[in-house]
Amino acid sequence: MPKLVLKFGNSVLREATVGSQEVSIGRSPDNAIVIDNPAISHYHARVFNEQGRLMLEDFGSLNGTFVNGQRVKMVTLNPGDSIGVGKHTILVTDSHDPAALPSGNGPAKAAAPKINETVMLDTKERREFLERVAATGESAQVAPARLKVATLVVRKGRTSQKEFMLSDKLTVIGKSGMATVKLTGWFAPKVAAQINRREDQSYYVGPADKVPSVNGQVIQHAVKLSPGDIIAVAGVELEFVYRD
Amino acid sequence: MPNNVQFGAHSDTGCVRENNEDCFGLAPEIGLFVLSDGMGGLVYGEVASRLTIDTVLTHCREAGRNSGVPLLGSYFPEVSAVSNRLASAIRLANERVYGTAQENAPGQAMGATVVAVQCDGERMSIAHVGDSRAYRLRCGALEQLTQDHSLVAEEVRQGRMTQQEAGCSTLQNVLIRALGVGEGVDVDVTEELFMDGDAVLLCSDGLTRELSDAQIAGVLSEGDAPAIAAGRLVELAKQAGGNDNITAIVLRKMPAITAAFARFKKLVNWRQRPKDQS
Repeated sequence: MPKLVLKFGNSVLREATVGSQEVSIGRSPDNAIVIDNPAISHYHARVFNEQGRLMLEDFGSLNGTFVNGQRVKMVTLNPGDSIGVGKHTILVTDSHDPAALPSGNGPAKAAAPKINETVMLDTKERREFLERVAATGESAQVAPARLKVATLVVRKGRTSQKEFMLSDKLTVIGKSGMATVKLTGWFAPKVAAQINRREDQSYYVGPADKVPSVNGQVIQHAVKLSPGDIIAVAGVELEFVYRD
Repeated sequence: MPNNVQFGAHSDTGCVRENNEDCFGLAPEIGLFVLSDGMGGLVYGEVASRLTIDTVLTHCREAGRNSGVPLLGSYFPEVSAVSNRLASAIRLANERVYGTAQENAPGQAMGATVVAVQCDGERMSIAHVGDSRAYRLRCGALEQLTQDHSLVAEEVRQGRMTQQEAGCSTLQNVLIRALGVGEGVDVDVTEELFMDGDAVLLCSDGLTRELSDAQIAGVLSEGDAPAIAAGRLVELAKQAGGNDNITAIVLRKMPAITAAFARFKKLVNWRQRPKDQS
C-alpha cells in the first residue's frame, strides 16, 4: 500500500496511507493532510488510486504542486517521488519498496574549448530558437493564469505595514528613505537587505548592511526565494508568498 | 555626481585579435559608466561599439541638463526615471547602429553588446544587451548582476543545459540579442544597491571567458585603486590566453568619511606643493 510522508526540512510531521479513500492536502482543517502555512491553498491537491495507479492532482493552487521539482497539474506517482508544496515535502513510499536513492556523478569538467568570434544568431535560426523557447514556456505553464503578486508578510518585528507588495524591481528593507519595507525599530539599519526581481520574474534576496538568513540559513550572496520562505534580518521576520 | 565613487578602466586588444572592437565611456559627472563590445568584419565592430558609447553618453548628458528630452520606447513604472532614461539611451544607440549598418554594410553582420551602470545615490541602474556583464563584490562575495543574452545562457535558464556544459560549449559566442540587428531591441533594466565598500565591475566577454569568478573576486578584494584593479584584471586575462579583446571598468564606493579624508588630503597636498618647489 503506498504511503505519503509529510516532511519539513529533516523532520517527519506525519504519514498517511492511500487506500480506496483519497488523501487531500491543504490548509483547511478538513483535509487528510493539513499544512497550516500561507503558501498552501485551502484545498491544494489530492492523491488517489485509479485503476491501480497512484495519481496526484493539483486543484489549481496558487503556489503550485511540484513533483521532483517539476510543476504539475495531474501526474502518476511512483515510489520515490518527492512532492513539493510550499516549503514542505511529501515523499511517496511503498511499504515493501524503500525508495531507491538517486545516484549520479556529474561529468568531469572538460577542457575549455576554443571559441570563435562573437556572432549573432542568424534571423531564421533565431526565430526557430525563440519559437522553441516560447513553446516550452507555454507548456510549463500548467496552472490557471491568475494574477499573482509577490508579497512579504511581516511575522515578527516593527515595520510600517503588516504586508508589503513587491511591485518594483528593487525592494529595499531598512529605515532609509528609499526603503519599501520600512523598519521602524529604534536601532534599525538604514539598508538592511535587498530583494530583486529578475527578468524571469523570480525574486532574489541578498545582503546589504546586514546579512539576512533565509529559513534559518545565513546567506552570503543572493538567494532565490520560493513561496513560504522566511527572511530574518535586523530583528524582523518576513514571509515570502504570492497573493491573488 | 556622487563624489565618493572612484572609478578606473582598462582595455586591451588581447593576444590573438588584430584590432580592439571593445570600447568604453565614462561620464562621472552624472555617475554613468558604459562598456560595449562590437562585432562584425573589417572596421564595423569598432564603429558599432564606438557609436553605442557615444550615443548613450550624449543622450544621458543631454537628459541631465534638460529633463524634457523625449524618451524612446515604453516607460517601465517598476524602475526609476534614471533607469528608464538609460534604457531609452540604449534603444537610441540600437537605432543608430542599425541605421549605420543598413547604410554602409547592408547584409553584413554589424552589431554590439552594451552594459551600462548609472549611480544615483545608493541606487544604481543597470541596463544591458548581449553578453557583456556587470558584477558586484560585497563583503568578499562576487555576484553577477546581469544575465547574458547568449544561446548557452538561455539553454541553462530553460534547464536544457547545465552551467558546466555551458562553460565547455563551443556555442558560447552565439548571442540571441544584440544592438544593430533589428529596428528595435529589448533592453534588460534592473536596479541594485551600490553601498559603501562595494566594488562593481563591468567587463566584456574577453575577460569572463578567461577568468573564473574566484580570480575576479580575488583581484577586486585586494582593495587597490579602481584603475589598478582594472589593469590587473585585463593583465590576468591576457596571461590566461587573451583570445579576445578584454575590457574592464571598476567602480568602488568609499565610505563618506574616507572620501572626505581623501579630499582633505588632496587639498593639503595642493597647498604644500608650491612650498616644496621653492
